Amino acid sequence: MEAIRVLLVDDEKEFVVTLAERLRLRGFDTTPVVCAEDVFALIRSEGSPDVVLLDLKMPDMDGMDVLANIKLFDPSIEVIMLTGHGGDPEGVGAKKGGAFEYIMKPIDIAELMVKINQAAAQRRRGLSGS
Amino acid sequence: MIYLLKKLFKYLVMDTFEAARPFTVGKRYKHFRRTLLLIMTVITMTPLVVAATLSYYQYQVLLEKEFKNHIRWNAESAGRTISAFIEELRSVIGFIADEYSHEDLADQEFLSSLFSRLKHKRGLVDLGYIDPRGIQQTYAGPYEFRGKGYRNMVWLKESIARRSTVSEVFMGYRKMPHFVIALTKKRPGLEEYWVLRASIDAETLGQFIGTIDTEASDDIFLINHAGELQTSSRYFGKVGDTFPLESLPYKSGVTLKVEKGDSFTSLKAFAYIEGTPWILVLVKRGYIHERVWSSFKMELIGIVFISAVLAFIVILRTANILGSRIREADEKREAMLSEVEHTSKLASIGRLAAGVAHEINNPLAIISEKAGLMHDFLEISGDFQYKDNFYGQIGGILDAVNRCKVITHRLLGFARRMDVTPEFILLNEVVREVLSFLDKESLYRGIKFELELQENLPKIQSDKGQLQQILLNIINNAIDALERGGRVVIASCSYGEAFVGVRISDNGPGISEENMKYIFEPFFTTKTHGEHKGTGLGLSITYGLVKKLGGKISVESTLGVGSTFNIMLPIEFKVGLDGEDGSDTGFVGG
Repeated sequence: MEAIRVLLVDDEKEFVVTLAERLRLRGFDTTPVVCAEDVFALIRSEGSPDVVLLDLKMPDMDGMDVLANIKLFDPSIEVIMLTGHGGDPEGVGAKKGGAFEYIMKPIDIAELMVKINQAAAQRRRGLSGS
Repeated sequence: MIYLLKKLFKYLVMDTFEAARPFTVGKRYKHFRRTLLLIMTVITMTPLVVAATLSYYQYQVLLEKEFKNHIRWNAESAGRTISAFIEELRSVIGFIADEYSHEDLADQEFLSSLFSRLKHKRGLVDLGYIDPRGIQQTYAGPYEFRGKGYRNMVWLKESIARRSTVSEVFMGYRKMPHFVIALTKKRPGLEEYWVLRASIDAETLGQFIGTIDTEASDDIFLINHAGELQTSSRYFGKVGDTFPLESLPYKSGVTLKVEKGDSFTSLKAFAYIEGTPWILVLVKRGYIHERVWSSFKMELIGIVFISAVLAFIVILRTANILGSRIREADEKREAMLSEVEHTSKLASIGRLAAGVAHEINNPLAIISEKAGLMHDFLEISGDFQYKDNFYGQIGGILDAVNRCKVITHRLLGFARRMDVTPEFILLNEVVREVLSFLDKESLYRGIKFELELQENLPKIQSDKGQLQQILLNIINNAIDALERGGRVVIASCSYGEAFVGVRISDNGPGISEENMKYIFEPFFTTKTHGEHKGTGLGLSITYGLVKKLGGKISVESTLGVGSTFNIMLPIEFKVGLDGEDGSDTGFVGG
C-alpha cells in the first residue's frame, strides 16, 4: 500500500522538520513547509497530499484561511489543525471550517499517528467512493 | 435663605468629610450623624418656633383688640345709662318748671305736696325754689334750708347763664356729697330769673353706677374735669379724692389708655357723659392675664413642646437610619470596588498566563519533538555504550515536557472561553454525584464527609459539568488540607428567592490572613511539595467558573480551626451575568 502523504505546515522550522522526520521514520511520506504560500505551489507541483498538518497561527497567513483555501482547491484533502494556542472554541471553529481534527502542542506522536491514519483512511474511502 | 442653608450644609457636611479624613471610620459616621441631627433639628424647629411666636403675638393682639372693643362698648353703654338717668331727672324738673308758675312754686305747701308726689323718683333728696334774689324761698326735703342764700353758688350762676345745669358733686350746706339739677325760668315781662333745683345724693349716684353691669371692668366711677372723684372708687378712694389724670381725654366717644405697671397692666376707659360735668371711668387691671389668654398660652406651649419632642424623635430616628444606610452603602461600594479590583487583577494575570502558555507551547513542542526524534533514532540504532543512559536522559526530558504540558494546558484551560450550557439541575444531586467520585479517595485517606443538605431546594439553571468541576476542586483542596481523621461538611441552603448556596467546611489547619489575600490568584499555592503538589490554578479556575455561572464565591478561615468556602449560585441563569462570557476575568482564548 502506498505510504500516506503528509504535508506539514508550521512557521517553526525546527518543529516541522523534526516532526516530519519522526513521521517519516514511522513510514509516512512527509514534506515539511514553513511558509503557507509554499503549500499551494507544492500541491500544484506534486499533487494533493492525503493529510495536511496545519498550524493554526502563522505570521504570514492565518491557519483558518489556509484551511479554507486547501478545501477550495481540493476538498478531499484532510487537514489536522495544530496549535500551541487556545482551546475548544478554536477546535470547534476549525472543525466547522472543514478540518478533520484538532490537536494541541506539544503533541503525542502516537495520538497524532492515529489521527493521521484515520484522516487518510477517510480520504481514501471518499476517493474510492467517488 | 437657600444660600445660607447651602453654606451651612457645606460647612457642616462637606467640611465634616474633609475634616474627618484623619478620623476613624466609626468617628466619621458618628460626626456625620450628629451634623445631620443638628441641621434637621434647626430646619424643623425654626418654623415651629416662628409659627408659635407669631401665633403668640397674633393672638395677644387679637385678644387685646377684642378686650378693648368690649370695654369701649361697656363704657359707651354705661355712659348712655347714666345720661338717661340724669335726663329723666332733668325732664321731671323741666316739666315742673314748665307746668307751674313761680307763684305756685313759691308756695311752701304746694312745693311740699309736689315733692311728696315726686319722692318715688330715685335718688331725689329735696326740691327747692330759689327766687331772683338767690334765696331759697320754698324748700321740700329733709333739711332746713328755707331762706338759705345761694347767690354765690357756681351751679346757680351756671344755671342762670345756661338756663339749666347739672352740678358737680359737692358738700354744700348739708355737708354731704350730692349734686344738683337746676332749671332757670324768666319771669314774664321782667328781667328776673327764678330757679327750680333738685338735689340727688352722690351715694345714690354711686349705687346707680354700681348696678351697671361691667363685667369687662373691675372699677367704675365718675370724675369731674379736674379729676376729683364724683363717686367712690374701688382703687382710687372716696368722693372728693383726686384721680391721677395727666391730661383730659378727648371729648368725643370713649378714650382708652393702657398703663403698664410693675405687677400688672391696666386698661382705663374714659367717656364724657353728655349734659353733665362728669367723665365716666372704667378700670380693668391685669386684663391681659385673663383666663382665655392663660389657657391659650398653656395650650400653645403644650403643642409646641409635644411637636418638638415628636419631631426630635423622628429626626433622631431618621438621622440614625440615614447614617446607617450611608455607612452600609459606603461599605458595600468599598467591597464591590475591592472585588472589581480583585477580578481585574485576576483578569490581567489570566491574560498574561494565557500569553505565556502559548509562547511556551511552541518551544516546548520543539523540545518534545527533538527528544522524541532522539528516542526514535535510539530505537533504530544498534547497541552502544550508554544507550540505556541516553534512554534515561531522553525519558527525563520527555517527562519534564509532559509536566510543562500539563501546566500550559491547564493555564490555557483557565483562560479558555467556554460556553455555558445551562440546564435544570438539583444542587443536592450534583453534590452527591461529586462525592461519589471521591468516595474511594476519602476512604483511602481516612477522611469523613458529612452532608447537611436542605431538602426541597428549587431546581437551578446552571452548567452541570462546570458545577461538578467547581465542587471537585474545592472538596479536593479540603481533602489535601486534611490529615487522616479529618472531616468535610457540605451544606446546601437557599438564599432568598434568587440564589441557592453550598458551603464546604473542613476542620483542617486553616488559611493564614496573608494567604487569604492571594487565594484565588493563579499560581498561588501552599502545596509546594509532597505527594499533592499543586499548580496554583485550581482555585483561580474555580473562581472563574463560579463567576461564569453568575455566582459568587467567598472564603472564611481561622488558623487551627478550619476553612469554609461559600458558593452562591443563581436559580435562574441569565446571559450576561458576571463572567458568563468570560469577560469579567478577561480570560479569552488564544
